[in-house]
Amino acid sequence: MNYLPSDYLPILIQLGLALAFIVGTMLVTHSIGPKRNSKLKDEAFECGIESQGDARTPISIKYFLVAILFVLFDVEVIFMYPWAVNFIKLGSDGFIEMILFMGLLLAGFYYIIRKGVLEWEK
Amino acid sequence: MFPLATPSIPDVVQSIPLQNYVLLATTLFIIGIVGVLTRRNALIIFMSIELMLNAVNLLLIAFSTYKSDPVGQVFVFFIMAVAAAEVAVGLAIIVMIYRNTRTIDIGFLNKLKW
Amino acid sequence: MLPIVLLSILGLVVLFLGFQKSKNLLLPATLLVLAIVLVANFLHWNDMPSLYFKNMLFENKFTMAFSGIVIFSAFLIVALTRGFVDDESAQPAEYYTLMLFSLVGAVMMIGFENLIMLFVGIEILSVSMFILTGSDKKNLRSNEAALKYFLMGAFATGIMLFGMALLYGATGSFNLTAIKGYVMANNAPSAMLYVGLLMLLIGMLFKVSAAPFHFWTPDVYDGAPTIFTTYMSTIVKTAGFAAIYRLLSGSFSGIYSFWWMTLAVITVLTLLAGNITAVYQTSFKRMMAYSSISHAGYLLLSLTALTNQSQSAIVFYSLAYSIATISAFGVLMLVAKETGVHSYENAERFEAFNGLGKKNPLLAFVLTVSMLSLAGIPLTAGFWGKFFVFSSAADRGLTWMLVIAILMSTVGIYYYFKAIIAAYMREGELSAIKVSPFYRLILIATTIITLVFGLMPDFLKGLV
Repeated sequence: MNYLPSDYLPILIQLGLALAFIVGTMLVTHSIGPKRNSKLKDEAFECGIESQGDARTPISIKYFLVAILFVLFDVEVIFMYPWAVNFIKLGSDGFIEMILFMGLLLAGFYYIIRKGVLEWEK
Repeated sequence: MFPLATPSIPDVVQSIPLQNYVLLATTLFIIGIVGVLTRRNALIIFMSIELMLNAVNLLLIAFSTYKSDPVGQVFVFFIMAVAAAEVAVGLAIIVMIYRNTRTIDIGFLNKLKW
Repeated sequence: MLPIVLLSILGLVVLFLGFQKSKNLLLPATLLVLAIVLVANFLHWNDMPSLYFKNMLFENKFTMAFSGIVIFSAFLIVALTRGFVDDESAQPAEYYTLMLFSLVGAVMMIGFENLIMLFVGIEILSVSMFILTGSDKKNLRSNEAALKYFLMGAFATGIMLFGMALLYGATGSFNLTAIKGYVMANNAPSAMLYVGLLMLLIGMLFKVSAAPFHFWTPDVYDGAPTIFTTYMSTIVKTAGFAAIYRLLSGSFSGIYSFWWMTLAVITVLTLLAGNITAVYQTSFKRMMAYSSISHAGYLLLSLTALTNQSQSAIVFYSLAYSIATISAFGVLMLVAKETGVHSYENAERFEAFNGLGKKNPLLAFVLTVSMLSLAGIPLTAGFWGKFFVFSSAADRGLTWMLVIAILMSTVGIYYYFKAIIAAYMREGELSAIKVSPFYRLILIATTIITLVFGLMPDFLKGLV
């Protein structure tokens, strides 16, 4: 299957239209909209409640740990896709190997639980 | 104008010449190297390294498709999995440093002179 | 193959032993694991060379000898940790497990038959070392070393991977034998192959800290806790050189004329940078870091030559270097603990050894033998290591490199003797240091090994 450069023309037109719309609306709102600034109006809007403090406050390290662990366990799953596709061809050997792999992952998971990383309130 | 039957993925990949993939991957890789060498923020250096790894992944997939050999794609899986482990350790190191110094600019790394 | 399986499983056992209240069991358990693995490693010594795990790993006498060296070095280093009992914030179970897991990576690097295994091995080893380097969490020097090591290590991995991808593009395989077949079949390989090989080599030379990719080494070795510096400068280096040797001899001996000049330039740069900078160091630990760079240079010399002798020369040199480094750092750890727990800068200077000979004759003797071995003085293992390396280079006719290497090893004598002079000639207020019997045993053992191999080098050389 070969694509000619002319096949990409609709994409270019779409791109141009999208850009034109954004630039156009921004220009129009700036030129015809009224501008009235006041202290209250410039404040950040948080459901009508007065905003407090800085957004960059230190948060609990637990969030970071859980996020990291999620990334780790999440990515290890990619090895299961090729295995699942070739499940029948790999046969029982492949099954045993995958069980070993999952066993090692679960050993890591058990370690995390025993370390108390997932205990939220402590 | 538009194909009705979906072409197979290798066909789509091969509709672009191999040199273009190599060029794109090399460009991405060089952007990554320049990022590592010029940036001062540990996180951005880290992102540049990830960019380098992804350039490698792209290159491997292009080669693997052109050679109709799945081993290259398996290698990509390994790179992704290992990169995740590396990210975990790297971020942990950066967090540890942040807790001690309240900054992640590598300019503070002057306890040990080069 | 057996060491990898055993280390992975028993490493987990050690990790879960850490949940026990008493931490006293961890050190003996780890030592037991390493002893078992060491025995298991040599079980198949007399077998034919064979491939394991669907042609992923290779095993012959060379790989077994190298695995033996790293496992034995790890045994000695673990024995020197004293169970981390005097450090309250330490996590001994995790440290030991990471050491065992990193050995899995080292054994993979030594026996790889497929570039995927090389990559996975290097990463297992490096990621464990990143953590261990930063294990002194409150110490900014340790933090900084960990970050530098991590960023440089990941950067090097990226370059190495790009090289591997290009090699794959050129040859169509990650298998060493298949790549060798391609190189043999094509008289004029593509530019892609050359660039790929070059980038792969650069990535690996980063890991073994060869100049001009060595700049991270002194900082990282200096900032890491001394025990893990020992680990890095012996095991990571040994495994790295075994991997480079396997790569070059296994796949690229056919295009020797292409890469030897590059490697020769890097070798000379490494020898010059390591030895000359080491002269100006005031800290013993930093001096050892530069000395490890210079030893990388000698090992590279043998790799550049790549003759039939290179194999046994590298094995012998790595063993001699590892043993001497371990005993030198063993003494440094004792002295640094005695002279100043809080002031790292002073505790690790040469002056810390002042007066060591008077009150602690044993420690001074151990230090002297290890320094002599590193400097390559006759009657020590280091001399024969250098001798074999130099003779393999002479076989290839690399005379000009040989001249530089010999000149540089005379420079080496100067800075190694600074430590000996401090121990025996200078006055110091160092009192008698209490050494636990086990620690003493390990130090005596390393010294005896150094001397025995210095007197009977053929004993080991005949084996491989």
